[in-house]
Amino acid sequence: MSEIKTQLVVLGAGPGGYSAAFRAADLGIDTVLVDARANLGGVCLNVGCIPSKALLHVAKVIKEAKHLSSHGVSFGEPTIDLDKVRDWKDSVVSQLTKGLSGMSKMRKVEFVQGLGKFTGSNTLEVTGDKGTTTISFDNAIIAAGSEPVSLPFIPEDDRVIDSTGALEMKDIPGKMLVLGGGIIGLEMGTVYNALGSQIDVVEFLDQLIPAADKDIVKVYNKTIKDTFNVMLETKVTGVEAKKDGLYVSFEGKKAPAEPVRYDKVLVAVGRKPNGKLVGADVAGVSVDERGFINVDKQMRTNVPHIFAIGDLVGQPMLAHKAVHEGHVAAEVVAGKKHFFDPKCIPSVAYTEPELAWVGLTEKEAKEQGINYEAASFPWAASGRAIASDATDGLTKLIFDKDTDRIIGGAMVGTNAGEMLGEIGLAIEMGADAEDIALTIHAHPTLNESIGLAAEIYEGSITDLPNPKANKKK
Amino acid sequence: MSDIKEVLVPDLGEDSVEVIEICVAVGDSLDAEDSIVTVESDKASMDIPAPFAGVIAEICVAVGDKISEGTLLAKMKSADESATDTDAVSGNEVEAIPEVAPESAPVAEVSAPVSETTSTVTSTIEVTVPDIGGDENVDVIEILVAVGDTVDVEEGLVTLETDKASMDVPSPQAGKITAMHLNVGDKVSEGSLVVTLETASVAASIVEQTQENSVPVTTPVEAPAVPAPKAPPVPHHPSAAAIQPSGKVHASPSVRRLAREFGVDLTLVNGSGNKGRIVKEDVQSYVKYELSRPKLTPATATTAGEGGLQVLAAPKVDFSKFGEIEEKPLTRIQKLSGPNLHRNWVTIPHVTQFEEADITEMESFRKEQNVVCEKRKLGFKITPLVFMMKAVADALQAYPTFNSSLSGDGESLIIKKYFHIGIAVDTPNGLVVPVVRDVDQKGVHELSKELMDISAKARDGKLKAADMQGSCFTISSLGGIGGTAFTPIVNAPDVAILGVSKSEIKPKWNGKDFEPRLMLPLSLSYDHRVIDGALAARFAVHIKNVLGDLRQIIL
Repeated sequence: MSEIKTQLVVLGAGPGGYSAAFRAADLGIDTVLVDARANLGGVCLNVGCIPSKALLHVAKVIKEAKHLSSHGVSFGEPTIDLDKVRDWKDSVVSQLTKGLSGMSKMRKVEFVQGLGKFTGSNTLEVTGDKGTTTISFDNAIIAAGSEPVSLPFIPEDDRVIDSTGALEMKDIPGKMLVLGGGIIGLEMGTVYNALGSQIDVVEFLDQLIPAADKDIVKVYNKTIKDTFNVMLETKVTGVEAKKDGLYVSFEGKKAPAEPVRYDKVLVAVGRKPNGKLVGADVAGVSVDERGFINVDKQMRTNVPHIFAIGDLVGQPMLAHKAVHEGHVAAEVVAGKKHFFDPKCIPSVAYTEPELAWVGLTEKEAKEQGINYEAASFPWAASGRAIASDATDGLTKLIFDKDTDRIIGGAMVGTNAGEMLGEIGLAIEMGADAEDIALTIHAHPTLNESIGLAAEIYEGSITDLPNPKANKKK
Repeated sequence: MSDIKEVLVPDLGEDSVEVIEICVAVGDSLDAEDSIVTVESDKASMDIPAPFAGVIAEICVAVGDKISEGTLLAKMKSADESATDTDAVSGNEVEAIPEVAPESAPVAEVSAPVSETTSTVTSTIEVTVPDIGGDENVDVIEILVAVGDTVDVEEGLVTLETDKASMDVPSPQAGKITAMHLNVGDKVSEGSLVVTLETASVAASIVEQTQENSVPVTTPVEAPAVPAPKAPPVPHHPSAAAIQPSGKVHASPSVRRLAREFGVDLTLVNGSGNKGRIVKEDVQSYVKYELSRPKLTPATATTAGEGGLQVLAAPKVDFSKFGEIEEKPLTRIQKLSGPNLHRNWVTIPHVTQFEEADITEMESFRKEQNVVCEKRKLGFKITPLVFMMKAVADALQAYPTFNSSLSGDGESLIIKKYFHIGIAVDTPNGLVVPVVRDVDQKGVHELSKELMDISAKARDGKLKAADMQGSCFTISSLGGIGGTAFTPIVNAPDVAILGVSKSEIKPKWNGKDFEPRLMLPLSLSYDHRVIDGALAARFAVHIKNVLGDLRQIIL
């Protein structure tokens, strides 16, 4: 058993955790990073955002190649070597985790592999492959993340998988049920569909990706209507594992009368925080019954020298939120008077096409009673979208009518996620519609649609009929 | 029936004092004014007396506790009511308290129908603005309740906003709002009426409980008219309060971070940028402005940095290297008066004017009078200090500027029309300054008697806070010990202090000869912001003239 004494221990080496540790080290704090995995990067790098993006890239190219046949170029049916696809995905992951581990060494952040649990308000015990390590610390940042929710009525079976199982890509099922119409389920559905699986999606609510606005999701629905069989307002009541497959019975609006046989069931109904798994209570940190840890705007828990960041401090459970929270926590530990104080946090569903939104949605603006106006530019009117065969898209900006300032934005369409950054920056900087409309966007680009949407609000649009034209004489 | 009354700490004139002794035990029978506990403040220790005669039922503080006005000190069964005490009321809150009444009392039977009283027993309390840190005229920015609302203890009633923070005034008790006395935009201070609250009385439950025992009871009295304890205002979480919903504050992330670092509430900053955008320079100039604003509250005036006092830390020296040492803690009075003296020394521009008074005649008159006093067995002696007090009172009347204090904002002078003089008294525990009131209206005999009493009290540590408040001017006399002159520190908020050293016979030129005269050295320190040198010289000369010829006083 070894012992380490450090100024700061960061529990969890996901994007939030490693960012906190690296930032702290750069600020001159002696830092130890602990994670159960041997590789840095947490769920995001190892079994989340990154490997799924590698596979989505594959899926996108397959789909585009197929599509090109209607424009006069045929490649023939693709042959898929699943082992090679998996190897490529793994190589993407290992390139990134190796990079992180190099940067960790460069910064002299000590990495301890193993499961960390608090044994007191200033001590942590890490049980790993190489034995037990006791770490005594002055400050701690809990960044232990979240894990997929599993459903109790679904039997344990190799053929029932979660997002981690889906990314392992053991095989390509003939028919797969995606349980949960959120971002993770739809992304994995997109991948498997491109590789040849028939996909059914079941969602309890009346809309896929329930957090996004309906008009955005409507465009998405149109593009997937021939590929996914979506059952909204329907729930799974039972899964029976038989030799020839998983027999799933449904209940609700779109429920098939008889149980349906699937080769695989992907459970993607959400993630739950790991707050209860780190012995936080032993350190005096209060964890709520769901496993969330409450923090203030400086990411401080109820114990002043212990901080928490990322998925386990609350929604949205997104890597980029965790990174910023990690920076704030590290800076506060280093004595800086910083606060986690964003106006907006972007969300992206990396489906094909992508859905992306930032700031307030129309739904939220309505709920908050804000006097707002939304301006939408349909991509069917964009030259670049037409040329790129990407007309299934929409760019919507939401403005506060009292100030004309932008308070939210959403996009659906190819590369929507890549273009969202401009809207986020505009919100943070307090830009108003005129600022955006007068910013010259390159032509022809998909990104141009943001400037054009602002012109619609301003009444200066010329690429579409201008409903405000007469009012602004 | 028995009635347990709560004994709350009265106005001590101090924010917080420490309990150093509990003078009673549960079951003790006290007369009114008997001491319950002894507390110690920065000035003296004092006893808190029982407000009425009775029996101690419960002591609610312990030695070492910090208490302040309104703290629950003890629960007492008042003497008159314990006479009608009865076992019948077991089941009410008295049950938990040991039965300690020395005599058992007859059961009081009354015919008042119990049912009538149970439903009507409520009490009404007036909720006032609690101590809000000394801020005056604070804005009411939100009314959180309406007449008819039922509120819980600690529930916010109204939101107040000072230039530093906003805070809710919590309800001291659960109850129903029967009247709202404020509107948004009103300015309030500590003690302003907020709401009238109808509270469900304890007495109501007593009645119900006694009813169960089916015992005749007296008509329940209204809940004791003890003022509702003032809950401190709850400041909003500083960061939570500063978080603005998106769109409300027009400032970019870097500007918001800068504001956070300085603790600046961006809603208070005017944006100079396009369309009111707050830019970094706006935050910087806001901070500069806030720092340059006069802040004369005692708490900020001494804080290094805010008052601009950046001094080198004193070097740490290991004295044991040079010889044997002993470390002795400062007395409580020293510890507490130290920061006040320090503040006065560094914030008041002091000048000391020296003068000598010829007290040859005064002393011979005083000695004659003391012979008379002894003959008449008056029980006191006239000291030179009494004449000095009279002389000072006379000088204060002649020069009202000396009888003033600088207003909190430093913009005006508050002239006092009363003449209370503080006397610095050396005690075994340290220096204390009891105050003799209305010196101008009292004769030499009365003052002599009072001075004797107050000095004895000071030496015994029995001074009450009220005894040490309200001074206009202070006299510090070291004449009994020695010295030719010294520079006393002004006892703020006074603007001047007179130091008296040891009188000495000196040769004085009377125009023809050197004459032996008894000369008294006077050292008058004053606040040069308020008093200029010529005025101080005149004031000192006035005292000298009065002491030189006491007949001046009657002119």
